[in-house]
Amino acid sequence: MENEKNIKSRRDFFRKSVPLAISAIGGVGLVAESCQAADQEEEKVPVLSQDGQLVYVDKSAMTNVPVTGQEARQGIPGKKFVMIIDLARCRNARKCVSKCQEMHGLPSEDEWIKVFLMQDSDDTAPYWFPKPCFHCNQPPCVKVCPVGATYKRTDGIVLVDNERCIGCKFCMTACPYSSRVFQWNEVEVSHEMAHAHYSPETSVPSKVGTVGKCDFCPDMARQGKLPDCVTGCPNGAIYFGDKNEDIVSNGTESQRFSQLVHDRAGYHFMAELGTEPNVYYLPPVDRLFDYERGFNNLTDEQKEFYRNSIVKKH
Amino acid sequence: MSFRIRYGNRCIIWISLIFIFAIGDIDAQNTKKKTIRSKIEYFKDQDQIGRLVTTLKVKEDRNAPLEGVLVHFYSIGDTSKIFFDSISTNKEGQAIFVLNESSNIYKDSLGLMTFESEYLGNQEYLSATSNIRVQTVELSLSFFQKDTVKYISAEVNEIRLDDAIVPVNGVDVFIYIQGTFSLLNIGDAETNHEGKAIFEFPVEMPGDTNGLLTIVSKIEDHDLYGNLESKGKINWGKPILLTPEKHRGLGDTDAPLWMVYTLIVLLSAVWFHYFYIILMIIKIKLSRTKIPPVQELIL
Amino acid sequence: MELDSKSTRALHFFAPQMEKISKAGIINIVIMLLFILGGVYALVVQIVKGHVVTGMRDNVVWGIYIANFIFFIGISYAGALISGILHLLRVEWRTPIIRIAEIITVVSTLIGPSYILLCMGRLDRLHYLALYGRIQSPIIWDVLAISTYLIGSIIFLYLATIRDLAALRDYPFKQKWRNKVYRFLAVNFNGNSEQNRFLDRSLDIMSAIIIPLAVLVHSVLAWIFGMTLRPGWHSTIFAPYFVVAAVFSGTGVLIIAMWIFRRYFHLETYITKIHFNYLGIILMILGALYAYFTFSEYLTSWYGSETWEMEVLFKLFDQDEYWWWFFFAAFVGVLLPIIVILIPRFRSINSITAVSVIAVLALWVKRYLIIIPTLETPLLPLQDLRPEYIHYQPTLVEWLLTFAGIAMFCFLFYLFAKFIPIVPVVKVKEGRNYADLRKMVQNRIIKRKIKELKLKEAQKMQNT
Repeated sequence: MENEKNIKSRRDFFRKSVPLAISAIGGVGLVAESCQAADQEEEKVPVLSQDGQLVYVDKSAMTNVPVTGQEARQGIPGKKFVMIIDLARCRNARKCVSKCQEMHGLPSEDEWIKVFLMQDSDDTAPYWFPKPCFHCNQPPCVKVCPVGATYKRTDGIVLVDNERCIGCKFCMTACPYSSRVFQWNEVEVSHEMAHAHYSPETSVPSKVGTVGKCDFCPDMARQGKLPDCVTGCPNGAIYFGDKNEDIVSNGTESQRFSQLVHDRAGYHFMAELGTEPNVYYLPPVDRLFDYERGFNNLTDEQKEFYRNSIVKKH
Repeated sequence: MSFRIRYGNRCIIWISLIFIFAIGDIDAQNTKKKTIRSKIEYFKDQDQIGRLVTTLKVKEDRNAPLEGVLVHFYSIGDTSKIFFDSISTNKEGQAIFVLNESSNIYKDSLGLMTFESEYLGNQEYLSATSNIRVQTVELSLSFFQKDTVKYISAEVNEIRLDDAIVPVNGVDVFIYIQGTFSLLNIGDAETNHEGKAIFEFPVEMPGDTNGLLTIVSKIEDHDLYGNLESKGKINWGKPILLTPEKHRGLGDTDAPLWMVYTLIVLLSAVWFHYFYIILMIIKIKLSRTKIPPVQELIL
Repeated sequence: MELDSKSTRALHFFAPQMEKISKAGIINIVIMLLFILGGVYALVVQIVKGHVVTGMRDNVVWGIYIANFIFFIGISYAGALISGILHLLRVEWRTPIIRIAEIITVVSTLIGPSYILLCMGRLDRLHYLALYGRIQSPIIWDVLAISTYLIGSIIFLYLATIRDLAALRDYPFKQKWRNKVYRFLAVNFNGNSEQNRFLDRSLDIMSAIIIPLAVLVHSVLAWIFGMTLRPGWHSTIFAPYFVVAAVFSGTGVLIIAMWIFRRYFHLETYITKIHFNYLGIILMILGALYAYFTFSEYLTSWYGSETWEMEVLFKLFDQDEYWWWFFFAAFVGVLLPIIVILIPRFRSINSITAVSVIAVLALWVKRYLIIIPTLETPLLPLQDLRPEYIHYQPTLVEWLLTFAGIAMFCFLFYLFAKFIPIVPVVKVKEGRNYADLRKMVQNRIIKRKIKELKLKEAQKMQNT
């Protein structure tokens, strides 16, 4: 109810006070506060219009109100978000993990992007394997959700609506990639986050007794910003972008998606499961770092733990 | 000539930096004030006179940006300087001053402009000044097609004080395609004697629904011209198809029809019988026939 | 309603029993209520402190609650299949045990789903299932199937009790409220031929419906696991496997209940060794079927030796992990009932009951072994420093609620036994039905023969 009211009042607001040109970007969920013909040049920020085109709007004309309700279920038009993770560049710096936790107000043990130590066979070298949610095109979690609390959007993103989720955890058993995290108890977050206007796009504040996971930060994408795990990575191991415009970026360099995946033999993790992930991996060849370096900022206990976990028992 | 000016420009920046450090070192011993690194940059977008960006960083704090202090901007003439405005630095430690028509800018005979930004310092930080000297140039973008090959042309012209336009030779121009999150570099080239840099447009580049692409040309960190940017839209991209995918699948809102039908048939078959039985129970209740002996019934 | 002498004798045996509570009964009730109170306490703790008080964590998201859920739905098969099939086949010896079976069905179908509720993170949003239900989700299949099944089994129990209710209505109880309630429930039944016809038809329909419905309910339950891409779950035989396991456990619980009632309600004249023998043989056959499914399931995954399947299998056969549980659930609990019942010398009321207890316990353990080892084996390595995220350990809260469920089961059963006779009082001879059937068949044969003769005559006419 509350949501509907909100949306409605926002629409009214547009009808009344905002000139036509700006109301075209109503769908992006950024509220234009004033837009008199600017007699002073202002910094422009890119935002995605409703038909998926990039338009520039005065920075001062924006305040952040996250998209909710039906808008958050539909997705950003014309976009297909993809991520490419370059395993050759990962050295378990764990910045993606901490940045993500910071952004979503997660406790230090809840990780929406996890870094695993993997070894495919006893003869091959171990490597670090950052794993966010794969935002599958055939998401097993979405299939099984009894109330449609988790859903697939047109822009490829799989989101969880914490205000719809009944906490049955079926999606957690259905996800073969262990991407989902249940909020077992109340988590202390900053005052600002606790009172934030909830949206499935921001996932803040998260709600106890519901399921959370990596959301590909669509609220950031609406402002043309990369997710924090991408910009946080000191080695530029994570690329993010729009498959439709064929451009991915790791924050410092941009590449053509098709070219990168083609040239570097990008692959899907466990493609045989038929889930069609939207996260691609570049194999850990010609690595920048020895995997041992990933142990640098770990305690002895953690090191031992990681080493043991890759030794197969049989 | 141009060499000398470039050289001079660089010298001014270096000298100012050295000056700051020198002062900073002396002062630090007495009052332990922190040294500020100040850098002024000139940016110019299309149809803009330009903007000045000064970045303040604290040397002792691992070059952390200095937020929320005032930076004063000036235009420097031969004998005097004109005060523009005082701008507060943002989270990134940047103070941005946008030049407009009403800004009084000193220009020398060649059209060269000198700007200065000054941070006065306080109890904690030392003061810092930085200068930049730039020439007004125009960067413009045009598109043309020869046979089947598509070309982007970027043209760089100096604008002198007497409004004379002089093509600039030998400047590096970078071309990008605007993406949602970043600019994709598709090439860089030097301008020729006509002031033009020509780029071939890559094939198979997707655009938006109309095939429209935003092309950005840039001159980056040029000693004399600063940072210039110019944008253009062209429908050379492959239009993307926005077919709203409405399926009835396992992952969609609506279930596959066979599933709906199966469920309806199964449930209604069972529930029909439940209702039939409730009807039977009602009939039993309404049946008021006098009791015939049980034994008789069985036989 | 007029009763024959046998039924009258039975009525006068059961009706007084229902009114009074023995000393042993009071002690039992107190014990059961204590367990239920323990469960209430645990429930309050879980609601106040959240799911963090359970042993469930991000990998093992479903614990013994779900094992209990499958277990209770499983034993509900006692009524559905046993009484349904025996009714349709008009098996004579079923009459004394059919009521017990039907009560088991209703009570366990009431308790089972409440464990699902305990597993839900947001119970306050339960109504979302109705508001936003997606029929692609096996959970919605489950909700629909179980609620339909529960209503069906209540109707079935009620129909099979109407005759007794009518008899009780006419019995002079000391507690007058009983007569009022029975009068309301007996819907003016007085045993006239019309009412008998309606009732028999309804019973036939219900027992025919309840069988496929019961099969469907447990198949859907199995599909909750079978539809996921998890080792040990993603198996095509899961649905029939669950169905067989359910009937197996249902029969076991029925035997145990028969033994308890025979002993404490002195029903030696009604429930005899024949019943134990027959049900024992059914138990043995189901046990063999269940063993066959178990063998087939594990042989297939071992032979194929996919990485993840193997990992789960190794956990089951690892002595440090689940081997002894697995040994009990898959070997002892299945083979022992088969052997004991197979050899006539071992067959006695007590031995059959004892192996039933073992079989039922083994099946609870099996449900635990279906859920937990699989959830402890995600496809990605378990690199978590929190031990509780790697190994599941049920907490006190979960155990308290488990025992509360069992106590609740016994308590509800006891209430039912105090309200309706545990053995049907009014006997209806079913010879009539057989006679009718025979007559019908004979009529058809005669009709067909007449038709053939006519045809032959017509052909003869044509030929000439």
